[in-house]
Amino acid sequence: MTLPTIVSDFRNGLAAGKLLIQNCSDCNKPNMWPRYACPHCQSENLGWKEAAGTGTLHSFCVLRQGAPEGFEADLPYAIGVVKLDEGVQLAVRLEPDGPGDWSSYRCDDRIEFVSTSAAEIERRACATFRRARA
Amino acid sequence: MSEQWTLHVPPGADNDPVFVGVGEIPTGKFPERGFIQALTKVALLALKDAGMTPRDIDTILLIPNLHSAADQADLIFSRMVEELGIHGSCKSSYMVHSGGSTSDNAVRSAHGLIATGHAQNVLVLQCERWGSADLNEMITMLSKNGIPGEWELPTGIQFNAIGAMITRRYMHASGSTAEEMASVCVTLRNWANLNENAMFYTKPLTVEQILASRMVADPLHSYECPPMADGACAFVMTSTANARKRGIGNAVRLAGSGGCVSHYCLSQERDQAVLGWPLAAERAWSQSGWGPHDADIAQIYDSYAAVTTIALEGIGIAEKGEGARWFAAGNGDPGGKLPTNTNGGLLSAGHTGVGGGTALLVEGIRQLLHRAPPKRQVEDCQRAIIGGSGGSYMDAQILLLERTKLGA
Repeated sequence: MTLPTIVSDFRNGLAAGKLLIQNCSDCNKPNMWPRYACPHCQSENLGWKEAAGTGTLHSFCVLRQGAPEGFEADLPYAIGVVKLDEGVQLAVRLEPDGPGDWSSYRCDDRIEFVSTSAAEIERRACATFRRARA
Repeated sequence: MSEQWTLHVPPGADNDPVFVGVGEIPTGKFPERGFIQALTKVALLALKDAGMTPRDIDTILLIPNLHSAADQADLIFSRMVEELGIHGSCKSSYMVHSGGSTSDNAVRSAHGLIATGHAQNVLVLQCERWGSADLNEMITMLSKNGIPGEWELPTGIQFNAIGAMITRRYMHASGSTAEEMASVCVTLRNWANLNENAMFYTKPLTVEQILASRMVADPLHSYECPPMADGACAFVMTSTANARKRGIGNAVRLAGSGGCVSHYCLSQERDQAVLGWPLAAERAWSQSGWGPHDADIAQIYDSYAAVTTIALEGIGIAEKGEGARWFAAGNGDPGGKLPTNTNGGLLSAGHTGVGGGTALLVEGIRQLLHRAPPKRQVEDCQRAIIGGSGGSYMDAQILLLERTKLGA
């Protein structure tokens, strides 16, 4: 099945180590998840911009059992929702503090995008974040 | 903001829709109980409770199942019309679906059909076989419901992960402790221990047991996750004029409803500790003319404790941030200030998929009809708040129900 362009563009960005946000070329507002028409002005004239990669962690969890099919080998893993500084939100994986340990994370922590290898994005096409180092 | 949502059916008008009967069979693991067999049983129980026979029904609304696409097709293509012997006379049979809030939307649909004259007597049917289904298959299926495949499936998200994120955000925002969250589950179990149809009728539960159970998705322990169950229930609605003709003295009417669809996937929700409840509640109060402190019971969707505490706060039953402590103080318990989820809810009566919300609604109607078994019937129950939510808690739906004397 051919992926829609907005999906392949986003994933190609991740594979190149970039977190892309869809940006409306008419009203200049950011959209996430990417849409087929701008939810703000209904324009179909949509492009991309690279995110700064920083934001706050709205919430997260550590899944320890009951993975969906194909994710069993990843357990345990942490999923979070990030509010990017650009004002849009997305679901991401969180880098552990150490093996199986995410105990340092708290809601509203500052977190940052971590680029992952193209091979890893091929396997799991999602962004990874960690606690901000700055 | 001051929106006005007028209900164009005055109380007691001939076309005012009313609930007149309910039916239910036990929730739990019943692999030998067939899907169509269970649906037939609850249909007949609800019709008997309403003083009707299948021939009286002109419209069937179906609550979907999530365990089988083949069984879903049977529902959609009117199998129950034939099973009940009303093929040739039944006017319409169709499915309503918005996940966990389906029952709320089914009531809105039936209400509109009856009030406008498109239907006279409506039978709403629900059956789910989650308890007998393959657990791994159901987990995988649920990792695709309310989760966008192209954007979020790659993270490995599933339903417990969604519940866990909402729980963590709620605990962070409210300062609720693990003990306070667990106390919500204990209240639900206390009610289930009074409901012979509940999955955990004979099993008490304590805060200590919950906190000692294994961690499934931090911060959720296994005893805080909903038990997948088989279950079926049904209810009947008609017009006030029809009910009077049938000599029905007391029934239940819809005083008003409110709703808000706040997101599709959880990552797009602006505040996971609030969701759509405040706007849904404002709309519901505006339509009904009564408020949170006028209710005698609440039946609020409870696939996870935080789902209910967030709703209670948005509805205005508990103060902001105090939902879990409201339960810990016993307010929702049998004999408490506002009996909440008096059938035991999804967490203790059993999570029957889309049917969990239907079971809460059916219990609300049963309480208002004063037909609950004496040990859990709330005395002089006149008003109920019903709350539902579907998908990844994409919506907040509120029905305000009240007992009404028809003066037949």
